[in-house]
Amino acid sequence: MKRIDAVIRPSQLEEVKQRVTGLGVTGLTVSEVRGFGRQKGHTETYRGSEYTVDFLPKIFVSIAVAEEMVEPVVDAIIEGARTGVIGDGKIFVSSLDEVIRIRTGERGPGAI
Amino acid sequence: MPSAYVGRRRKWILTAIVALVFAQIFVGSLSVAFADQLPQPDPAGTATGDRTLVFDAAGNPFVVPEPTDRSAPDYTKSKQEFDNFQAQAAREPLALKLADDVGHVRLATNFSWTLLTGYLVLFMQAGFALLTCGLVRKKNAAHLMMLNFAAYVFAFLAYYAVGYAFQFGAVAINAAPTNLGGTPTLNHFLIGSGQWGFLGGKGFFLTGPGYDAGSNCLTLFEVVFMETAGYIIVGAICERITFWAFLICELFIGGLLYPISGCWVWGGGWMSQLGSTMHLGHGYVDFAGSTVVHAVGGFCAMALAVILGPRLGKYGPDGKPRAFPASNIVFVVTGTFVLLFGWMGFNPGSTLGATDLRISVVAVNTNLSAVAGSAAAMVLWYFLFGKPDITMACNGMLAGLVAITAPCAFVSPTSSAVIGVLAGILVCLGVLFNERVLKIDDPCGAISVHGYCGWFGAVSLGIFADGTYGAGWNGVGVASYLGRAGQGVTGLIHGDFSQFWMQLGGATLLAAYSFGATFIVFKGVNAWRSMRVSKEVELTGLDVPEFGMLAYPEDAVEMLTAGSQAQQRGV
Repeated sequence: MKRIDAVIRPSQLEEVKQRVTGLGVTGLTVSEVRGFGRQKGHTETYRGSEYTVDFLPKIFVSIAVAEEMVEPVVDAIIEGARTGVIGDGKIFVSSLDEVIRIRTGERGPGAI
Repeated sequence: MPSAYVGRRRKWILTAIVALVFAQIFVGSLSVAFADQLPQPDPAGTATGDRTLVFDAAGNPFVVPEPTDRSAPDYTKSKQEFDNFQAQAAREPLALKLADDVGHVRLATNFSWTLLTGYLVLFMQAGFALLTCGLVRKKNAAHLMMLNFAAYVFAFLAYYAVGYAFQFGAVAINAAPTNLGGTPTLNHFLIGSGQWGFLGGKGFFLTGPGYDAGSNCLTLFEVVFMETAGYIIVGAICERITFWAFLICELFIGGLLYPISGCWVWGGGWMSQLGSTMHLGHGYVDFAGSTVVHAVGGFCAMALAVILGPRLGKYGPDGKPRAFPASNIVFVVTGTFVLLFGWMGFNPGSTLGATDLRISVVAVNTNLSAVAGSAAAMVLWYFLFGKPDITMACNGMLAGLVAITAPCAFVSPTSSAVIGVLAGILVCLGVLFNERVLKIDDPCGAISVHGYCGWFGAVSLGIFADGTYGAGWNGVGVASYLGRAGQGVTGLIHGDFSQFWMQLGGATLLAAYSFGATFIVFKGVNAWRSMRVSKEVELTGLDVPEFGMLAYPEDAVEMLTAGSQAQQRGV
C-alpha cells in the first residue's frame, strides 16, 4: 500500500478529482494549504507600500492506494494538475504500513 | 490584569456617572431660574412658526418690518411699504391668520428636512464602521467595531451634557437658524459677547432654554455632525489604542474640542463675524463643515497618531514603511457608498430647511465632487504604481466629499468637479507624505482624507465661490455686496480677495487649534498612563485582551499570521 500526497493548484482540483476517481479510486482527502516552492511569492503594492505574498494558496490532496494503482494515479494527477507554468506543484509517494476501516475494523488493502 | 487596577477603574467610572447625574439635577433646577426669562422655550412646538416666519422665494418677509432708522436713505420708501402692509392687513384679517398657518407649515417642512437629513448623517456612522473595519487586520476587527460603537455613545453624552451648549448656546445672537424658527432661547455667550463670542452658554443638559422644539431639531442635526468628527479619529489610532484612552478622546471631542471651534464658526462666534468686524469677506464661511467637522477631526487624529506612534512592524529598521493590507475590501467599498449616501444628508441638510431650494445644487455639487475625487485618485494611482488601489479610490471619493463640504452651496457644478479632482490628487499625495516623509502611521488615511482635504475644502471656497448664493451670509452684504444687490459669498476668481484670505487664515487656524489642543491634552494623558496597549497585546490582536472575544473566531489562525512576518523582522 502507498500513500500519494500531491500539492496542486486550487484551480486544478476538479480536473485531478475527475481523473483519479475515473481510475476507480474510491476516496480522497483534500486540505487548503499555503506554501511556496521554486515559484516563490510575488510583490504587490498596498497604499504605496510594497509587500510580498510569500505563501501561495494550494490544495493538498492525499490518497491511499494499493501498489498496482500507484503509477496510474500518479499519471492521472500529473495530467490533471499540469499547466506547464511554474507553480504546478509536487507529488510525494510514501509507503503505508497499515490501513484500518473504522466502521468494521477491517485491515489491509481491503480497507482502502 | 491585576484586580486592584480593575477596581480602581470601576470606581472612577462610577464616580463619573454619579457626577453626571448630580450635574443634571443641578442644571435642571437652574432651568427653573431661566423660566421667567424671555423668550420662553417651546417644548411642545405649539407656539413655533407663525406669520413672522413666512418668506417668499427670494427671502423677503411676508410681514413688512417697521423701519426704525429715520436717517436711512430709503426711510420714506420703507415707511410707505410698512404703512401699505398695515392697511392691507387691517382689511384682510383672514390673510394674516392664513399666514400664521403658512409659517407653521413652512417650519414643519424644514423640521422634516433637517431631521431626515440628520438621520442620513447618523447612518454615516455605519459607513465609517464598515470602511475602517475593512481596512484593518482581522485580529483587531472586534476592537475597531467597539471603538466605532462606543464613539457614538460617549461623544453623544458629552455633547448632550455640555457640547451643545458650548457650541450653540448663543446661536440666536448672530446666527439664528430662521429656517427652524430662530431658536430664540439660545442667546447667551459664556465667554465673550456681541460679535466677539468664544463659547456658548445656554442649553446645558438640554434643559431650560435647550428644551425647545426648534432647538432640539437643531440638536439632533448637530449632534450627528459632532459624531462624524468623533469617528474620524478611529481611522488613525486603531489597532493600538486602549479602550479607556479612546473613551477619554471621545469625551474630549464631544464636550470640548469640537463644540469650541464649532461655536466660533456656526454658533455665531467671532470667526463667523469677521466679515462685519474686520471686513474680511462674509466672515469665515464653512457651509457644512470641511473644517468645522472634518479638519478638526482629521488634525485631532493626527495629534493622537503622533502621540501613539506607528503600529509594531509598520516601519522596518531601514525606516521603510511596510504594508498591512486591508482585510475586507467588500466592507471598504460598501462603507464608502454608505458614506456617500449619508453625505446627501450632510451637505444638502445643512441648509436646515427644504424651503431653501439651493438644496438641489448642493446635492449635485456634492456627488460631482465625490466622483471627480475618486476618478482622480484611481487614475493617479494607476500612473504611479501600475494598478489602481481600491482603498485609495475609496479615499479619493471621500476626499472629494470632504473638500466640497464647505463650498458645496457657493460654487457651480463645474467648480465642484475641479475641487473634487484637486482633492483626489491631494489625498493620494497626503497618504504618501504621511507614510514616507512624516512617518505617521494612519491605517485608514483619516489624516489625509479629513485633515488635509478638509483644510483644502474651506480654502477652495475662497477661490471658487461665485456669488450666486449666500447674500447676507453672517450678516454681511444684506443690501448689496461688491456693489451688487443680491451678491452672495464670492471667492478669489470672482473678485473677492478678502474672502480668500479669510478662508486661508481661518482653515489654517482651525487645523492648528485642533492639532495643538489635542496634542497638549493627550501628551499629558499619555504621560500619566500609556494610552497604547502592550506589545504582546498588539501582536496577538486587541480583540481578546480588550474585549474577551474575536470578531472572526473561525479564522483564529489565519488572522494572526497576516502581517506577522513583517512584525518579526521589524520588532
